[in-house]
Amino acid sequence: MNGWTVAATATLAAGVGAAAWGVATGPLRRRVVAQNLSTSLACPALLLLSEGYDRPSYVDLALLLALLGPVGTLVFARLLAEDLAADPPRAWGLTYAVAGFGGVVVIAVCVAAGPGRALVKLLVVGALLIGGNLTASRALSGGFAGSRRG
Amino acid sequence: MTRRTRLFVAALGGTGLAVLLVAACFCLPRFGGAQHPYGDRVVRASLARHTANTIASVNFDQRAFDTLGEMSILFASVLGTVVLLRQTRDEHRAAPEPEQVAVPVRRFALLVLPVAVVTGLYVIAHGQLSPGGGFQGGVVLATALHLLYLGVDYRALERIRPVGFYEIADALAASAYLVLGLAGLVAGTAFLANFLPYGTFNTLSSGGTVPLLNAAIGMEVACAVVVLLARFLDQAVEIEKGGEK
Amino acid sequence: MDDPLIVVALVLVAVSATAAVAVRDPARQALVLAVLGTVLAVLFTVLQAPDVALSQLAVGSALTPLLIMLSVRKVRRPQRKKEADR
Repeated sequence: MNGWTVAATATLAAGVGAAAWGVATGPLRRRVVAQNLSTSLACPALLLLSEGYDRPSYVDLALLLALLGPVGTLVFARLLAEDLAADPPRAWGLTYAVAGFGGVVVIAVCVAAGPGRALVKLLVVGALLIGGNLTASRALSGGFAGSRRG
Repeated sequence: MTRRTRLFVAALGGTGLAVLLVAACFCLPRFGGAQHPYGDRVVRASLARHTANTIASVNFDQRAFDTLGEMSILFASVLGTVVLLRQTRDEHRAAPEPEQVAVPVRRFALLVLPVAVVTGLYVIAHGQLSPGGGFQGGVVLATALHLLYLGVDYRALERIRPVGFYEIADALAASAYLVLGLAGLVAGTAFLANFLPYGTFNTLSSGGTVPLLNAAIGMEVACAVVVLLARFLDQAVEIEKGGEK
Repeated sequence: MDDPLIVVALVLVAVSATAAVAVRDPARQALVLAVLGTVLAVLFTVLQAPDVALSQLAVGSALTPLLIMLSVRKVRRPQRKKEADR
């Protein structure tokens, strides 16, 4: 194991582990936030793994998760809008902390990658990751009016 | 059979299966060993055919016939869904209502949609070089279209999604896979054999028929998922119980 | 070998899979299932199977939740209509 895989292990154990616990227990407003944060934490873990295994092609995994993870949260925000409107989630502190962590990981991996085409891909992943995480949180707390047939 | 007998039979069967599984596990090679006889042969074969991604070489070249079966499974299951979830006589269609979406969410969805489409095409096109391929890219493409439903509303999605077109494209892509297989026969080799020149290793055009089969699968999967989701969306949004109003 | 990493990923999969079975409400089950999909993708990556991980990510992160939640919406809707009629 090297430093990157150790960091990935810590992210998975502490971050994704906490998200898995959060999604399995508690009220709905906590579960949806935990689902959103699980993808925003697993994506940096995949970036760290790609760097730790020295396999640049594994970045595609993080790219797909950064792209589709927020889409999955949008599904829940959209189709559970009525239930969430009664009891909206409020976890902006946690969301910003996780977004900041994602940013730090992306910067670290970018520095390790150096300039080139790989850097552009990493920056796209970072933008999708942070933008998607924040937008999905916004969608959860009142992003949809929740029409009965829409 | 009484409840007790049934439970006894189930317990007997379960225990037998568990014993056999555990016994089989002890006969497996050790986890993560250095000896991979099958892996070594597969890697050698895929390098000989200039395909950088060994998995793609297995799926679309060395075991392309298996992929034909898998594709047929997806095709048949989507066909079954279309038949099962059709509008029956005692149901009617109600127009979907527009959804009010917060501005940042709508902007995000419209911004990410083209990025997701490009990513899907990238994953399909690089199937023979890096992890990915037709199935993964096709699912991403189909998911990308549905950002319109999530970020705008169902009427916006229906405008760019004529289901009939996707049904025809699905069937065309499935036959394209078969035609590529038959082309091998015409070229004088075997069904689904890699009959094209292998190209330069680690470039987009390498791998012979692998990129073409990948593209066929990508189109098939994308269209199949769109048709599948269209049936689910119709049921969830438009079709209601009760006769014609 | 990266044994601790494999153990962590396996434990996460076991925990979220058990939770997916234990949770009763279908909508909440879909939430757990989405997390399970992500964790499974991480496990496949750790076991050096990125192709399988990509398939799992593509299907599990958005497509499966959408299919389940649309079914939940369809099943719930007639009940809601009856309540409104009362």
